[in-house]
Amino acid sequence: MGKAKKIGLLVLAILIALFVLLPLVWMLSTAFKNDFEALSGRMNFFPQKPTLDNFVQGLSGELMNTPILRWIINSLSVGIVGTAIVLLIDSMAAFALARLPDLPLRRTLLSMFIASLMIPSVLTFLPMYIEFNTLGLINTYQALILPATAGAFGVFLLYQFFVSFPKEIEEAARIDGVNKWNLYARILLPSAVSIMMTLGIFTFMGIYNDFVWPLYATTSPEMRTITAGIAMMATGSYTQSYGKLMAMTTIAALPVLIIFIVGQKSFVKAITSSGVK
Amino acid sequence: MKSTWTSRFTSFLFILPYLAAFGLFLLFPILYGFVISLQDFELLSAAHPFVGLRNYITIFTPGTYENSIFFRGLWTTFQFVLYSVPLLIVVGLGMAMLVNALPAKLRGLFRTFYFLPYALSASVMAVIWLMMFDTNAGFINSLLQKLGLTGIPWLTATPWVWIALVLTTLWWTIGFNMIIFVNALNEVPEDYYEAAAIDGAGAWSRFVSITLPSIRPVMLFVMITSTIASFNIYAQPFLLTRGGPGDTTKVLLINVLDQAFVRKDIGSASAMAILMALLIMMVSIVQFRLTNRKEKV
Repeated sequence: MGKAKKIGLLVLAILIALFVLLPLVWMLSTAFKNDFEALSGRMNFFPQKPTLDNFVQGLSGELMNTPILRWIINSLSVGIVGTAIVLLIDSMAAFALARLPDLPLRRTLLSMFIASLMIPSVLTFLPMYIEFNTLGLINTYQALILPATAGAFGVFLLYQFFVSFPKEIEEAARIDGVNKWNLYARILLPSAVSIMMTLGIFTFMGIYNDFVWPLYATTSPEMRTITAGIAMMATGSYTQSYGKLMAMTTIAALPVLIIFIVGQKSFVKAITSSGVK
Repeated sequence: MKSTWTSRFTSFLFILPYLAAFGLFLLFPILYGFVISLQDFELLSAAHPFVGLRNYITIFTPGTYENSIFFRGLWTTFQFVLYSVPLLIVVGLGMAMLVNALPAKLRGLFRTFYFLPYALSASVMAVIWLMMFDTNAGFINSLLQKLGLTGIPWLTATPWVWIALVLTTLWWTIGFNMIIFVNALNEVPEDYYEAAAIDGAGAWSRFVSITLPSIRPVMLFVMITSTIASFNIYAQPFLLTRGGPGDTTKVLLINVLDQAFVRKDIGSASAMAILMALLIMMVSIVQFRLTNRKEKV
């Protein structure tokens, strides 16, 4: 490739990167501006009078009656608990499907789970709302956590991993009289740490970022997740203060951005194995 | 290991927790949704009389309210699919090829940059772009004014509102398609290109005769996932335009959820949701079949 062409490609790549990153930089910059400056239409990336007021007010909850800190805690706890459940039950199911040939209805279950991957979420949304409503679970943590545990993606991902696990180690363990639980917990699970991390990151981000279900499944301000809360603020009758809105958006985006950057390789792996074969 | 009754039972215990979740929060809702769609199910009333296919018939009867919101929403959604899917594929592939053409040291960096917005939630994405598109104080209009141009009513007038929605969608989700394409491109055997270069094939003919055929299965995957995602569009118009101006961007999912939670008619909304889901599944099956047939020829 010629040198001029190489430079041309690099320039193009940088231009696209600018377009992609600019809104994020602008969000960050606006979060440190006072209302006057934020609404002035001035295009300064460095605030003239940088202020932390937006963050302080946002986190203390005195802003527009929105308990931001509580929302963040809700999102983090729902995400962590949901992810823990998914990791446990998905790995147990995948282990049974892949390594326990005497599992009743093994083939039927496996194809049922895989088939469920193509079910659009619109199909389950309303009946699930009615189901939780009937059980009196709307506006509870259960409503925010449980629906995420039914997805078959994790089972499928771990199944593929467990199926390719060498049979010899397993057979040696069996001869030594290791029972199924120990085979799962002591031998197969420790070998799956990296794929479990991948699934964990994927699941956490899915739960943390979901907004339509939490928007309808919660009714009181304290029960909102940060994504549902921000969505309410963006569409509701809140006063438009870009500085404050951006401070809260920054706070909301930070946990996933950090996890995403740290676990990027895992994330890419999960996406790649999610269907391209 | 002997396959005794107890052994089979222990094996079953391993799958039981997930099976319970699957049954309660996936299988049951699907079946229950179908039952609801056959009922006159008002959200606030206790009795839900069985009405057979009436909800479906109403949706297909011209002149009814349900008919108009279902088919107008469908048409709006279809427009979005039409505008966004080709770009999601072409731009995604273009960015993947661009990233791959960069010096090895820079590849990871730019891949991360392009992929970053994909990590954001719908509401964060929407709030950021509400600010970018703001008519008066927004970044884009401020920039246009600096350049001596007039501001554009991005979210309140056609065709700008469509451009805005497609642009935010690309910004938010293109990283996913790019990653898939990057992986696919890396798996094309290098010697194919070398052989073609010896034959004197130009860049374009190498692209058409080697790259495209080699990544066809991935292309199919990206096409199907992008189409499904675009059919499910909700966050962008719901948060950025509230379906406006007028009903221009009131996509099907907005109308279905309005029917359920604003008009409180869950029965009819469920019927719409089922029709929408069937349509989405049909589209993906058709796409799958079409591409498979081409491959055999």
